[in-house]
This record gives sequence, C-alpha cells and structure tokens, in this order.
Amino acid sequence: MTTIAAAMPLSMETVRAREAAVRRFAFTDSLFRRLTFAAAILVLMILGGVAVSLVAGAWPALSAFGPSFLTTESWNPVTEKFGALAPIYGTLVTSGIAILIAVPIGIGITVFLTELCPRPLRRPIGIAVELLAGIPSIIYGIWGLFVFAPFLQTYLQPFFIKLFHGVPVLSSLFAGPPYGIGILTSALILAIMVLPFITSITKDVFDTVPAVLKESAYGIGCTTWEVTRRVVIPYTRIGIMGGVMLGLGRALGETMAVTFVIGNAHRISASLFAPGTTISASIANEFTEADGALYTSSLVALGLILFVITFLILAAARFMLMRIERRAGS
Amino acid sequence: MTQMVSLDKIMPQTTAGKTKIEVKGLNFYYGESKALKNISLALPERSVTAFIGPSGCGKSTLLRVFNRIYELYPKQRADGEVLLDGENILGRGQDLNLLRTRIGMVFQKPTPFPMSIHENIAFGVRLYEKLSKSEMDGRVEQALRRAALWEEVKDKLDASGLSLSGGQQQRLCIARTVAVKPEVILLDEPASALDPLSTAKIEELIDELKSDYTIVIVTHNMQQAARVSSNTAFMYLGELIEFDRTEKIFTAPAEKRTQDYITGRFG
Amino acid sequence: MSIAPSLHRSRKFRNALMMGLSMGAAGIGLAWLALILGALVWKGGTGLALSVFTEMTPPPGDSGGLLNAIAGSVVMTAIAVVVGTPVGILAGTYMAEYGRFSKLTVLVRFINDILLSAPSIVVGLFIYEIMVRTMGHFSALAGAFALAILVVPVVVRTTEDMLNLVPNALREAGTAIGAPRWIVIRSVAYRAARSGIVTGILLAIARISGETAPLLFTALNNQFWSSDLNAPMASLPVTIYQFALSPYEEWQQLAWTGALLITLAVLALSIFARSLTGRREDK
Repeated sequence: MTTIAAAMPLSMETVRAREAAVRRFAFTDSLFRRLTFAAAILVLMILGGVAVSLVAGAWPALSAFGPSFLTTESWNPVTEKFGALAPIYGTLVTSGIAILIAVPIGIGITVFLTELCPRPLRRPIGIAVELLAGIPSIIYGIWGLFVFAPFLQTYLQPFFIKLFHGVPVLSSLFAGPPYGIGILTSALILAIMVLPFITSITKDVFDTVPAVLKESAYGIGCTTWEVTRRVVIPYTRIGIMGGVMLGLGRALGETMAVTFVIGNAHRISASLFAPGTTISASIANEFTEADGALYTSSLVALGLILFVITFLILAAARFMLMRIERRAGS
Repeated sequence: MTQMVSLDKIMPQTTAGKTKIEVKGLNFYYGESKALKNISLALPERSVTAFIGPSGCGKSTLLRVFNRIYELYPKQRADGEVLLDGENILGRGQDLNLLRTRIGMVFQKPTPFPMSIHENIAFGVRLYEKLSKSEMDGRVEQALRRAALWEEVKDKLDASGLSLSGGQQQRLCIARTVAVKPEVILLDEPASALDPLSTAKIEELIDELKSDYTIVIVTHNMQQAARVSSNTAFMYLGELIEFDRTEKIFTAPAEKRTQDYITGRFG
Repeated sequence: MSIAPSLHRSRKFRNALMMGLSMGAAGIGLAWLALILGALVWKGGTGLALSVFTEMTPPPGDSGGLLNAIAGSVVMTAIAVVVGTPVGILAGTYMAEYGRFSKLTVLVRFINDILLSAPSIVVGLFIYEIMVRTMGHFSALAGAFALAILVVPVVVRTTEDMLNLVPNALREAGTAIGAPRWIVIRSVAYRAARSGIVTGILLAIARISGETAPLLFTALNNQFWSSDLNAPMASLPVTIYQFALSPYEEWQQLAWTGALLITLAVLALSIFARSLTGRREDK
C-alpha cells in the first residue's frame, strides 16, 4: 500500500500547478460574480424599463389631455377625446368588491385548515386551494362567460332586482336589466381568483403565531373562535393586511378573466349589474385595433396608471409582509 | 482579569520538532464584540494539538482563523499575525484558495457533498491537479485507505456520500481532506455528533495521521483531548489561559482556572 | 365565582357558528375548483379528438384543430424559459451567495417581489414599446420575450429561497478544501438545491403557459402554421380568447377544448413540481 506523501515538501511542479490553478480561479470566480451581479441589476432594470417605456409611450396622451385625463369619463376614438375615469372606476370597484368577498372567505378557509381540519385532509385541501391559484386567468374568463354569467342572468340577478325593488340606494345598485355580464360578475370572478392568494398568505402568517400564545389562551378556557378572534388575528394583523394588499394588487391587474365578463363599456353606472370596463380590459380589448397615435398613447397611459397603482399597493404589501417576517425571524 | 501570557505558555518546552504555525498577538472580532484577545502560541509540526475550554471560549474561532474560513462572512475580522512556516497568512497578499489547499478542515457535523463517494474525494483533487482516470482512482483509493474507510465502501464508490452512516461520512470528509495533500488538518469537534464506536475510530485515525500532518483539534471532550493530543491549550472567555504538554495540563496545571475546568468545577 | 350558564352557552353557540362558517368557506373554495374543472371537462372533453392535435385552426364556421396554436405556445414558452431561466438563476445566485449580506440584495428582493405580482398586461405594453414599435411589426420573438420577463421573477425567488436552505456548513466544507466560491456554488450549492430550483422553473412554465395578456399585442395571433420567429405566431391562450368571444360554434368548441388542454398541462406541471419538493421535505 502506498501512502500519500503528505507533509513532505511538495514538488516544485505541484506548487506551480497549484499557483496556475489559483490564478485561473481568480479570473473565473470574478467573472461569475460579475455575471450574477449583472443579472441582479437586470432585475432592477426590467422594472425601471417598464416604468420608463410606459411614461414615454403615454407622453403624447398625457401632454394632450393633462390632469383632466384622470377625471374625464368620455372615451371617444372618433373625436379622439380620451379620459381614464371609467376604467379607473371599474378597476377600483371590481377589485374592492372582490377583496370584500374574498377576505372573510379566505380567513375562514385558513381557520378551517389550521384549527378544524382533520390532519390527513390538511395537505390535500391546502394543495387544492393552491392549485386554484395556478389555473390561468383565461380559464376563469371562459368559465365566467359561458357558465357563471348565464347562471347569474337567469337566477341571481332577477332575484336581487326584485328583492331590492323600491329600496333606496340598493335599488339603484342592483338595477336591471340582468345582462349576466357586468361589474358585479367581474368582481365575483376576481374574488374567486384572489381567494387562493389570500388563503395561502393568511395561512403563512397564522403559522407565525407562537404555539404558547394560543395554548395559554386555550388554557384559560377560550373557544377556538375566541382564540382566533382575540389572539391569532390581532397578532397577525399586519401580515393579513399584507396578504389582502397582495390579493388587491393581483385583482387590480387581472386582465383576461375580467375582459370576458365586464362588458367593455366606457361609462360609469350606478348599478353593479351594468357593464363597465377596467384598465386592463380596455387595453386588452382595444390595443390592437387602436388606430391613431393618440388612441394608442391613451391606452398606454391607462397602463401607466395601472402600473403606478399596483406598484404602490404591492410595495405596501411587501413592506407589511417583511415586517411580520422579521418579527417571526427574531 | 487580563493576565500577561508568560513565555512558557506560548511554547511547550519539551516538544521536539520545528514550529508549523505560530500565532502572535491575535485578536478576532465579530462586528463590535471581541472574541479572541491577544492570543499567542506556537504549534509544533507533526503532532496533535488540542484546544479545550467551555463553549463560547473562542476555541473554534481560533481554529477558523487558521484557514481564514471566517472570510465567508462579513463583519468578522482578525488582526495580529498567524505564521505558517514563517509566512503571515493574515497578510493581504495571501491567496485564500491556495492557503486552504495547505490547511484542510473537518467540521463538527459530517458534510459530505451531494455527490458520489468517489466524486466527494475527486472533487477537491481535480481542482488543482490534472490526473488520468487511473491516477484519480488510485488517489481516491489511497485517501479512503488513509481514512480507514476503503474496506467499507470499495464496492459502492458510485453511491451517494449521503448514504453512508454518520461515522462513515465523517471519515469520508477526512479522506476528502487528506486527498488534496494538505500540511495541516484542522478538526472542529469532529466526533461530537458521533456514537462512541465511531468516535473511537476517528481517534484512532487521528493517531495514525499525526505522523504525516500537523493536526489541530477543537474538542469539548476532555478525555478525548487527553487521549489524542500531545499539547493542549485551555481557553476561557476569548483568552488563552494555559498551553502546555497535554499530560501536564491534565495532571499539574499551572493555572487555577485550568484546574477548575479540568476537574469539572465549571464549563 | 360561579360561571354564568347563559354566557357560557352563548359563547359556545358563537363558536359553533363561526366554525361552521369557516367550514362553509372551505366548502366554497373546493366547490369552485370542482365547478370550474367540471365545466372544463364537460364542455372541453366533448371536443377532444385527434384532429385537435393534427389540424390547423379553421376559418370561421369550419372544423379544424389547434395544432399551430399548440406549437406556437410550445415554441414561445421554450424560448422564454431558455432566455429567462439563466437570468433568474444568476440573479438568485447573487442574492443568496455573493450578495447575501449586501443592501443591493434587499432592494432586488423587494423589486423582484413586485415584478412577481405585477400585471402581466403591463409587461406586454413594455415589450410592445421596446420591441414591436422599434421593429415595426408583431413577432413571436416579442411574445417570447414578454413571457421571459414573467419567468425571471419566479425563478429568482425560488433560486434564492432554495440556495438559502443549503446549509452553510456545506459551503464551508467546499471552501475549506480550496475550491473557489464559484465552484462551491456550481458543484455544491446548486446540486444541493437542484430539485428546488427545478421546481421553480416548472412553476414558471406553468405560469406562462396560460398567459394571454402579454401575448395579445406582442406575438399577436396567426391562423396558419408559422415557424418564422420574426412574424406573428399563434398561441393557445390567444386563440382561446379569440375563439371564445366569436359567434361561431366550432370556434367556441375549440376554445373550450383548448382551455381544457391548458388547464390539464398547468395542473400536471404544478403537481409534478410540488411532488419534487415534497419528496425532498419528507427526507
């Protein structure tokens, strides 16, 4: 058996080979480090590029209409008068309603998953909810148009119209005729779409609650609901807010599902059953058919507004989630 | 409580052979906090030196200075001198990769790479040497034999390194270190995660390796230090309290704190 | 002190009520999934025939298949993955390795998380501005780049997360043997994180294979077979969009079938991706 002649002085040859290798490494290592650095910078540049290109594309419209672009409802390709008010209104209202519906349901699912669900079922149900998040939005769109909207039109909308007939405010919110498609239908579809996001984030933040905290509450005789309401939710408030904002960000920018079922009408109606439009739906619908630089530019300006709104919402969401992560980490 | 470290603590008087590593006035910082305070000692070549002391005393930190592995993390820095064969390895011109080919390290938990047993060893060798397949096979076999692992794995060299038992994994890590022909081997509590039988094997191995390598071992197990080392350094709160021949440390320590630790009064 | 029985009863009742509601919420969530999948199978399944995979998209009122749309989707998705994945892996590597402790990493993570949920139609506008407008025409390449931009943040996120899970001890071991950082990353960290990184790529594919909005005005659509990357190209999602909103029954049927195909592909990808990491966690 030969032994390794270690600790013996290494031969000159070996020493030289090692030094050559080390020089090579110094080069390849700095090359690789620079490559990764460049990629990280590229991520920043993508977002920067999006912002710059949108501002540049929107400039003709913004300089032509000024601030009144934001406050004008009319959208007339023939006279080339464009205002963003109707799509902004549609975007905010559909997303707002969607969040109002999805948040309580999302929290409910989380409570069910973390407190009630038999252990063997937890993972499958959790996965099912996450799969719901992976279904492409165009699927929700086609389903909404062919299955959900006719159902609403035949059953739900006439019912509500009859129910609130004559009641002030509500009668105009739920005014006919029942088209099936419209603001409320879009909001419902959006609610279904953001539900999995909200559920998976609230589940994550619920998991950050220290077990001792819950156990001590149970220890003094609290019911499951009281523990959830008085301990878990207050403890995770910021995280839940973050999840809600993230869901809101998704809803605001969602395109295809809404485009199918909103009706694409550039007007603001009091009734939730009326067709309307959102920013993303307007762009998706009209961009390729827009003729004239001002028309295209106005659509890009809509995109810019959407980008700014979602950026702010998502930044706030990330900020909140970072705070709760830091607390969980410390 | 700071004491002057007298000369006889720096270099055990009776050790034969020349000095391999000499530490002079070494300080180490984790950010603002000082983890090593003015350490000076000299480690003789081809012998086993043990660092003992209660946890948090700085013994692992000192070990991690020798191959500058701490450089992986920001805000950790060392000042003073560490001389390897008379050359200051803390100097700016020192190439870290080259340094680490000369000073190998084995960690507390076995850390086989996520690759085959053969690859685990060939990986380090291939970095600095161009060997033919048969030369490489020979080198892998030598290293595994050196780590007393060959007989157990010779039929499954293509199996994942992670498939071995804890003790085998640790010997694989020793083989991996030996294969790149270092001059010094640093062992950071190499047996603390192992069962008694595997521990005995590792200790046996250390005893065999010391004829070829300068070995430094950090251990919290005093019996282990007594069994494997020729010299022992006792550290406490970032200071080197006493450094002497192992038998002297364990039978007639000069310092009261060493005495207290050896007899289990604290730590 | 005695316990007021009425108070106790009302607390119990309230608890039962809320728990019932939360169970109802879970039921609603699962019911939607069942309803959507049911409708897809019901409506899409009836149109499932060999001709879907062998014939081109038909003119209005004619029968045909989805071959060119499926091929276009595959081509553009493949280019997007080939372009976007290296960028994502490298950026994630910077964040978890070289730049782990740097301020830049915090910023990149923040921006990347925003990109992760940014509206995809805005990405479409971006590519329209920088590629379609400058080149003067719609093209498959522009569509692929729009999808690539959606791939990047997904891969960045999972790569960083997975590399952060690799124990530092393993990096130290690689470094201690004399390997330079980039070889430690390539041969040790990437290997240890491989299944997680692959999962990220699969999830990215799942995400872009159903994306419609960024393709609408980049790749546009094409009723015929095209292998020219410089020309408009059909894709499954855009074809579904166009056909579903048309008044022709044959087209609507094809839209449903296409929707079923996309959903099956996406679900299969997500389940496969999850099973990869699931196995790893069990170990």
